[in-house]
Amino acid sequence: MNIIDFIGLLVQDAIWSAAAAVGFGILFNVPRRALLGCAIGGALGHATRTCLMEFGVIIEISTLIGSTVIGFYGLVMARRYEMPVAMFTISAAVTMVPGVFAFRTMMGMLEISSADPETASLALVTAASNGIKTGLILGAIAIGIAAPALIFERPKPVV
Amino acid sequence: MSFDSSPILRQKPTLDREALRDVIDLSLWAGQLLLQHGAESARIEETVHRLGTGLGANWMDVLVSPNAIAVTTVSGDEFRTKIRRVVAIGVNLRIIDEVNTVSRWVQTGGLDRFQVRKAFERIDHLPRQYDRRVVVLMVGLACAAFSRLFGGDWPVFFITFLASATAMWIRQQLMKRYFNSLLVVIVVAFVSGLIASLATRLELSPHPQIALIAAPLLLVPGVHLINAAEDLIKGHLVTGIVRGFTGGLVTLGIAIGLGLAMRLMGVWI
Repeated sequence: MNIIDFIGLLVQDAIWSAAAAVGFGILFNVPRRALLGCAIGGALGHATRTCLMEFGVIIEISTLIGSTVIGFYGLVMARRYEMPVAMFTISAAVTMVPGVFAFRTMMGMLEISSADPETASLALVTAASNGIKTGLILGAIAIGIAAPALIFERPKPVV
Repeated sequence: MSFDSSPILRQKPTLDREALRDVIDLSLWAGQLLLQHGAESARIEETVHRLGTGLGANWMDVLVSPNAIAVTTVSGDEFRTKIRRVVAIGVNLRIIDEVNTVSRWVQTGGLDRFQVRKAFERIDHLPRQYDRRVVVLMVGLACAAFSRLFGGDWPVFFITFLASATAMWIRQQLMKRYFNSLLVVIVVAFVSGLIASLATRLELSPHPQIALIAAPLLLVPGVHLINAAEDLIKGHLVTGIVRGFTGGLVTLGIAIGLGLAMRLMGVWI
């Protein structure tokens, strides 16, 4: 793939993930003045992830880096707009939630009930592997968007 | 947990009976608004603590559980504990933003307890900012955008839009009538699956399955799952596990609804 195609791919990815972030932002009733911020966050995070995945990085690590970008971006925007970080990070990060892996897990689990032993064991393996992937990606998203807090806010326990 | 004030700050004037009652009432109210509308546990603890100490209590202890909040407030030699049961309503980030703003003003001394009560009454009755029809359109567009991200072509884009927008509309209608939320998920996933499988039945595209994958994404409990993972990382294990389990149940509901629709239409992902 040449460089023009690659940039084209990233731009398209950014545009569609921005649209998805705005849609979910509206579903979650994000304040109007934060909507544009959500769109940019979604585009930044998801395009970073896609870019890394194009270079052959596995999805879990790409998601971690993409959501860390969202986390720091959210921190900057939260300071600027004096709003909680979640306003910008949640709908941006929702674009990376592994919905497809999650329902493949559940579909696999349902398939275990209705098949002969051979297909059932295959379904079990599929369900387990999709389930673990879902968990890992979710963990990566959470660590990523919490990264600024985990790095900068380290309260000393008082009790 | 350490917050902005510490127990060493005992020099605050002791609150009288009525003031102490208001402090605990208002900070519970804040916690309730946050928990109902999808804030993560660390934020709830911090905001409730900030609000209570900002209103004059010496110390606040906050316990956030999945469907209740318990708060103990201390002032001088007096203390008071109160529990409030909380039922989650749905994600509404605007309310979280507003409560956060109030707590910040209280902390800088800009609001007293009477003004805080007024502010919360206003927040409690805030209408949703976006018209129902706008939500339907934008959610449809969001899922259609996902179909593009998954590599779908334009026919798939339009089928996904149609499927998710219809599904969102049905979801609003059912939620308005207070149906059980898991039942709503199954029905809505079923409808989105029925419409999305048209892409396969009418042979509109070389990769029609993408519509089936993208259309039910409006139901994915993204906030629940992200909050669950965030709670677990920050040590709020109970709320984290419960939220994760809730997210898992909703996902199971999606799979059941979608699976039924696919069986009925005879299509496969």
